[in-house]
Amino acid sequence: MTLTESATADPQVASAATAVTTSTPGSETQTLAQPFVTSDGSAIGRLFVMVSLLWAMFAAVIGALVAFGRSDAVEPAEVFAGLNAYFRMWTLYRVSLMLLVLLPLLLGVAMVVVPRQVGAANLAFPRAALAAFWSWLIGSVIMVVSVLAGGGWGALDGVTRNEGDAMALTLLGTGLVIVALLMGTLSLAATVIALRDAETSLLDVPPFAWSMLVASAVWLFTLPIAIANIVVVYADLRGRAAIAFGRAESPDIWLQLDWLFEQPAVYLMAVPVLGIAAEAVSAVLGTRFGRPEAIAAIVGIFALLAVGGWSQDYFTAPQDLRDGLVYVAFGLAAVVPVAALIGALGMQATQNPLKPQQLIDTRMIGAAAALLVLGAATVVGALRVIEPLDLLESSATWAVFHGVVTAVFIAAVVSMVHWSSELFDASVSKRASGASVLLVGAGGGLLVLSDLVSGFISEESDIMALALDGSVLLNVLNFVGSVTFALGIAAIVAAVAQAMRVREAAEATLQASTA
Amino acid sequence: MFTTGFKLFFGLFGAFVVAALIYGYSTGGDSVGPLSLGWKGAVGDHIGYGLLLALATASLMISVVLVSYRDADADAQARLQNLAEVPTDSTVTASFWPVSASFGVGAAVLGLVLHPLVFILGLALVVLSLIEWTIDAWADRATGDTEANRALRNRIMAPLEIPIFGALAIGVVVIAASRILLNVSQLQAVTVAGVVSALILAGAWLYVARPGQSRRLVRVLGAVAALGLLLGGVLAAVAGERDFEHHHSDDHNEESYESSSEPSEGENFG
Repeated sequence: MTLTESATADPQVASAATAVTTSTPGSETQTLAQPFVTSDGSAIGRLFVMVSLLWAMFAAVIGALVAFGRSDAVEPAEVFAGLNAYFRMWTLYRVSLMLLVLLPLLLGVAMVVVPRQVGAANLAFPRAALAAFWSWLIGSVIMVVSVLAGGGWGALDGVTRNEGDAMALTLLGTGLVIVALLMGTLSLAATVIALRDAETSLLDVPPFAWSMLVASAVWLFTLPIAIANIVVVYADLRGRAAIAFGRAESPDIWLQLDWLFEQPAVYLMAVPVLGIAAEAVSAVLGTRFGRPEAIAAIVGIFALLAVGGWSQDYFTAPQDLRDGLVYVAFGLAAVVPVAALIGALGMQATQNPLKPQQLIDTRMIGAAAALLVLGAATVVGALRVIEPLDLLESSATWAVFHGVVTAVFIAAVVSMVHWSSELFDASVSKRASGASVLLVGAGGGLLVLSDLVSGFISEESDIMALALDGSVLLNVLNFVGSVTFALGIAAIVAAVAQAMRVREAAEATLQASTA
Repeated sequence: MFTTGFKLFFGLFGAFVVAALIYGYSTGGDSVGPLSLGWKGAVGDHIGYGLLLALATASLMISVVLVSYRDADADAQARLQNLAEVPTDSTVTASFWPVSASFGVGAAVLGLVLHPLVFILGLALVVLSLIEWTIDAWADRATGDTEANRALRNRIMAPLEIPIFGALAIGVVVIAASRILLNVSQLQAVTVAGVVSALILAGAWLYVARPGQSRRLVRVLGAVAALGLLLGGVLAAVAGERDFEHHHSDDHNEESYESSSEPSEGENFG
């Protein structure tokens, strides 16, 4: 009789117990001190996943409140006690989705999965990865608390001295978060480059590992420019009265950083989506893609089009940069690699008749949804750079952002289902993860649609729209989309929590059997 | 050929030389001065330039020693000990110092806005953590044997860690306890000190009388007591000391103390 057979009748727990007993060599015993001292890359990756999911809940609630605030039911200032507070939450929602949720979530999954994929025993520089996690966590807490305390990335309606100090803390927290993410990224990239199996060339690594390597390069090229921006803003802010940044008509701090959340830089979050989708589809079909170098090339081209530090337009006249040929070309070209991957995976899927189980597999549905939403986002991005449509400074900007966010989150859910045994030593509920994919997809779709239609209808440039132009219906759709998106996040958080409970039960079973 | 330690310290040597040159030129050095170590021309600020060059020299010497003695070269050490096989264990051991460095950076960030003292403490914690982290990283690769690596690390760091951390711990206890005792009234201070002393005595007696006590329980109790002391000290420091009333007589100076919470004259010594 094996250890796992003796103590439990729950097949899920028994399966998890087997996974726990056969987990990576060198993995450490679970103790209270483990999160503070571990040098196991998988454990660090799990920490990133868990905490970023908690931040996802927070961001989703903020997003729903912001959408409610600009619905016709109330005035923004009523929900958040003032115009500045509304602006703080509006910006916090965007920054936290990128820096506190999606990038760390992908990084965490990769820290667990990628070393195994490339044949490495552990992450390169695991202590740096641990420092990255804790620095990210501390930075994120400083950032969020300072925003809630009156800081943020600028103001619409003047600031007091204390709010100026809180703004300085917000900037420092944001900088710390980005530095920490870059440190984790370096650790991951070094693992693929230096610790992969000696007989595996870079082009032979699995699509997810390749996409994370390429994404790491894009992040390392782009995010330091945001840090440089923050240093400049911080020096300005501390060098003179904070009130200079609080001019009602000039939320300067945000305007210096918003390029990170607009195309092309916004696509940097989405590079791993291509790798996750390729692997999930191949796994469901049970076949490897015939031309892996084609996938690698598609991912590489998309990543190239996501390098976006050059699109910072605060210090130049916007028309000089954003009406320029390069900006337009980047916007139009981003559609091509996503369409190419959709086509390639579609061809692979239709080579043999699909079985019903394959069609309803969460990974298949999720991969398709992630790619289609990302494709839609790039199409909106292409429309946005076409000058006669006049969408550049409209809410269509946030249609692209929401499309990318939706695609990345769905891909993250797919990755958590696909690599659940590596991530959690237990399987994630297919029902809950499926519901999450559907809810996030539906909610994200509504957000993209309402932002895009409003962009077309709007007569004036108003990128920070306090209410979507057009009709009451658009604002209601936007609010419903936010709530649906939040429910989708809650579903996957619940599924992961359930998987973790199963894992803990398995560990308890194992300990009892050993005793 | 070049060992890891050599690369690290030789890199530091290069960085310090460049830093010294930049510092020399940026503080008033002329064109040749910083390059010729001040032999021809001015080097700018002598203290900073000299300090950076001293660090460069020390790094260079350490790097030469490390490469000469084949530091952290498991092959060389195995040959020296006539081992048939080279141990290959390269486990990265668990370490608290990365987290400590992160908290140091967090404190420094907060200190930049809140208070210079917090910034300096944060930086000090970062420097301390980086030193410890460096030694841990070196020890992990010193030989192919984890136990031997741990022993090596402790042999180098324990003579420094024990007195320094001991002094720090004593300092924290003294400062925290003094803040608490100075915050409460005179009578309460005496009472608190007496009760805590009695508790310590009772705890120690119990520990000795019943050696079978769970070590974990003792550790938990110790941690709770330390946290309580630290928290109490911080809160008391924020609340401030009780009022001290100074009386100066013609014959001699004599201080008298009076608790703000119990301002009765009967408690005055003066």
